[in-house]
Amino acid sequence: MKTPLEKLFGKSAKGVVVKDKLMVGYAEVGGQEVCVFGTCDGTYIDNDAALRLAAHVIDCIENHRKAPIIMLVDSAGQEPNRTAEMLGLASYFGHLLSCLQLARQNGHKLITVATGKAIGGAFICYGMFGDRIDALESASVGLMPIDAMSAVTKIPVPILTKLSRTMPSLEFGAKPFALLGGVEEVWSDKDDYGAKLAAAVASATTDDNRAALGKKRGGRKLALDVRDRVLAETAK
Amino acid sequence: MSCSNLFHEQTARQRIASLVDPGSFTEFLPPPARVMSPYLPQLDIPVSFDDGLVIGRAKLGGTPVYLAAQVGQFVGGAVGEVHGAKLTGIIKAAARDSIPCVFIAESGGVRLHEGSSGEIAISEAMRAVFECRAKRVPTIAVIGADIGAYGGMGILTTCCDFRIMTEHGRLGISGPIVIEKWMGKQAYDSSDRALVWKTSGGKTKFLLGDADVLANDDAASVGAAIKKLLAKSAPVTIKSVKARQQELERRLKTFGKTTDPDAIWTALGIADVAKATLATATEFTALAKKK
Repeated sequence: MKTPLEKLFGKSAKGVVVKDKLMVGYAEVGGQEVCVFGTCDGTYIDNDAALRLAAHVIDCIENHRKAPIIMLVDSAGQEPNRTAEMLGLASYFGHLLSCLQLARQNGHKLITVATGKAIGGAFICYGMFGDRIDALESASVGLMPIDAMSAVTKIPVPILTKLSRTMPSLEFGAKPFALLGGVEEVWSDKDDYGAKLAAAVASATTDDNRAALGKKRGGRKLALDVRDRVLAETAK
Repeated sequence: MSCSNLFHEQTARQRIASLVDPGSFTEFLPPPARVMSPYLPQLDIPVSFDDGLVIGRAKLGGTPVYLAAQVGQFVGGAVGEVHGAKLTGIIKAAARDSIPCVFIAESGGVRLHEGSSGEIAISEAMRAVFECRAKRVPTIAVIGADIGAYGGMGILTTCCDFRIMTEHGRLGISGPIVIEKWMGKQAYDSSDRALVWKTSGGKTKFLLGDADVLANDDAASVGAAIKKLLAKSAPVTIKSVKARQQELERRLKTFGKTTDPDAIWTALGIADVAKATLATATEFTALAKKK
């Protein structure tokens, strides 16, 4: 039985070290060296985790020129914590995003694969920043499951469930997230992950196409038009 | 300071009006345009004609700026599909036109009622902020409302070149009630306002270096801070990210075991914590410099 890392990177997966539910290392995709980092086992991302991932991105920029960066996401988010907040967890996440932006500016392609949980803040603090974002069919992608949304908004589960049939934004999972344009492609269990990843690396561009994709797929109908209207009115 | 001008008590449009050169503000997609959330009516929740975000162009001390101000009174300034698209649009306009972008935050983060659309919208706004930064177009976040900037909006402000905070503003990801639920009331009492503000408020963020300026709670002070920053930018370079990495590592190493904000204040040079707690932003900035 192959591990998820082996399915993605074959033998080169041995170059990726897993420690404290964080993964960092270098592997190969289609014969090309790639930088790999991410979370596993649905772990929480804290200040220290953000720094360790950022350090790896900096190492890649300095020592592995233009290597595509593969971001794997399996994290339940940030743990609500007093000290983490006091020390500015938001700033630690902003720093990780800044490192990724620098990588983008230096010609590194950023590819995300949501492999497990990709929920709320955990997805926004690095995975959603990818040039191209794919997800496994089994991944839990989205803001929050409907029962959690119901608990916070006080809107009964049956109402949210019914509405989610016509509003994929309220639904939870890789497929509805793809309808919104937040995920480019959903990989099925039968897919060859290595080949899928190689194709993702080859096709990624730095354009943020998510709003256009959301409109095309019908899951997020207004985002592109509203943005374009602002751009048109400001150009007058 | 005029009392009618307390920044944290103002609405989004009042804030803009009191910051910009008189008569210079033009709003885009204003309330009469009726660009609203398609989700809320289906959930029997009232809509707002601007979806809780005011965007426009104005002059500040003669310098053209693009502005976005969140309306905290409408679902806590939370970001839905339309709100987020307006925000991304105005930031992208700033990048296109090389005009600085000032973002007045007042938001709990993603609008839960709109699910994942709001989450993607914030991520798109982040990409737009970095589009500005790559072109060295200044992006300035102002956090001076009691709601603060939380969740994805907290993270978004940390992606900007600069942050101006007042002592009323708060910056974070998880709000106090969520932390209390998670850790227990013994560990964190969300009704203890002094504790909450010392944990996430402007003074602590300024001491730590996450807020670049601590402004007084009035538009004149906030406006003066913005004007000073309009001509600057903080480009993302290998030097800047390595310095930041070291700084954040040092911060975690030094303070990672404490829960006491006063310990941070003392360690960062505030000799008289009680006095500094009541100090105005001007006084506090002077106290912080004495260290």
